[in-house]
Amino acid sequence: MKILCILMLHFPLACEARRNPALAGRPAIVTHAEGSSRLVLGFSPGLAGLQPDMPLQQALARHGRVELIPADVPHYRTVFSGLLDRLEEITPLVEGAELGMAYLSAGGLELLYPDEDALIDAVYKAIPEAFLPQAGLAGNKFLAYLAARRCPPGGRRVLAGDSGAFLRELPCDELPVSLKTREKLRDFGIAALGDLMALPTGPLMAQFGPEGKRLAELALGVDNTPLYPRLLERAIEESVTLPSVTVSLPAILVAVEGILARVFAKIAPAGLGIGRLSLWTRTWNAEHWERLIQFKEPAMELKTALGRIRRVLEDYPQPGPVEQAGLRVEQLACPRGRQESLFREVRARDHLAEDIRRLEFRQGSPQVYRVKEVEPWSRLPERRYVLAPTDR
Amino acid sequence: MVEAAGKALRAGAYRPLNLPRLVEVTEDSSGQPIAIKGRRRQVIAAITDRWRLDDEWWRAKPVARLYYAVRLASGPRLVLYKDLTDNRWYEQDY
Repeated sequence: MKILCILMLHFPLACEARRNPALAGRPAIVTHAEGSSRLVLGFSPGLAGLQPDMPLQQALARHGRVELIPADVPHYRTVFSGLLDRLEEITPLVEGAELGMAYLSAGGLELLYPDEDALIDAVYKAIPEAFLPQAGLAGNKFLAYLAARRCPPGGRRVLAGDSGAFLRELPCDELPVSLKTREKLRDFGIAALGDLMALPTGPLMAQFGPEGKRLAELALGVDNTPLYPRLLERAIEESVTLPSVTVSLPAILVAVEGILARVFAKIAPAGLGIGRLSLWTRTWNAEHWERLIQFKEPAMELKTALGRIRRVLEDYPQPGPVEQAGLRVEQLACPRGRQESLFREVRARDHLAEDIRRLEFRQGSPQVYRVKEVEPWSRLPERRYVLAPTDR
Repeated sequence: MVEAAGKALRAGAYRPLNLPRLVEVTEDSSGQPIAIKGRRRQVIAAITDRWRLDDEWWRAKPVARLYYAVRLASGPRLVLYKDLTDNRWYEQDY
């Protein structure tokens, strides 16, 4: 099965430029915070030598006069999700690998698109030109990615037949393996995939462990990673703008409680709870803060979800005064092994005690018992537990 | 509101759980159980465990039991014990 890789290398900046056309053509870097360090998320096409996730200091050392834009990841995700929706009209199997990179299954579309060019044309029609898409078509994800990397924006590259000649000259930095492995390869003086190709699998595995086998396969253009199409999952997004910017945790919690209440109003009638949610805030100076919260057991009540969110907000402080807060429920789930109470009423225990008293009044002797531990450590089994009247 | 029945609950209001149940057991020459008599005779296929329990030796009727975990030929597993003070057999969940 052939895989088509669509690469939009400057996706975050393209999203910003669509919102603010004045940015078009100006050198800019989209930054995001990772703990205490600031990293590059995206940058203008003209800025050479920059890479995503590079420390901002390094980027500024190369290009001093650039405009810095704080990342608005929820917005980029919304835009990217919209693009994936459009691509799904072309082929149902679409994987959004990361922001600005999508893989499409190109198999079984011959009746709709007679050749590869027709398919890529359809894809380009679905993606606005401003995103500068690059298309690569090959037999697996790794080759399709490399092909897309090696063609100009708006261009296309199809790899068919033997990929050896294409791979031979490519740098090892392109390999989708850990940074540590790539650095080690560099230390060994293995710069190009051609050098890697010449090495047998055994020594590579001895040096790099299981990743060595993958290295050997990738160098030969073999990649068995399957395509993970987007799952059709109902996601709920809610956000709120705070009446005034605040750093107060209780104030942020009140806002979050409000949006959680809206979420539960939607899902509770269907008996669903929250399995996973992504909580985000935006500060007055447009800093983005986001945390993924996974619930071990689906949160079926607002109180449960809010308790967990409170702990996350306490553990991960905000980068500044918060102006906007929102959440995206990414996984809805049904309750698992939850024992419903027989007595749902308020003061159910009192009512139960009252009913038991009535029963004993009529019958004249204890009628309802509970198991009580007496000597649970006893070696004599009959001494361990007794049935005791409920009011004892 | 209904008033309490007014009866003081005595110790007898407590019901013991897991009391030993008297069973009739056929023993072999060495005193080990080989079958349980009852409405239907149940043959013991294997003795999987055996332990002795001595307690309350300071009392007039001390506890001295020889427990057997057995597997019946029909499949179920049981725990039996022989009361060594009166040589009677009982069944009890341990």
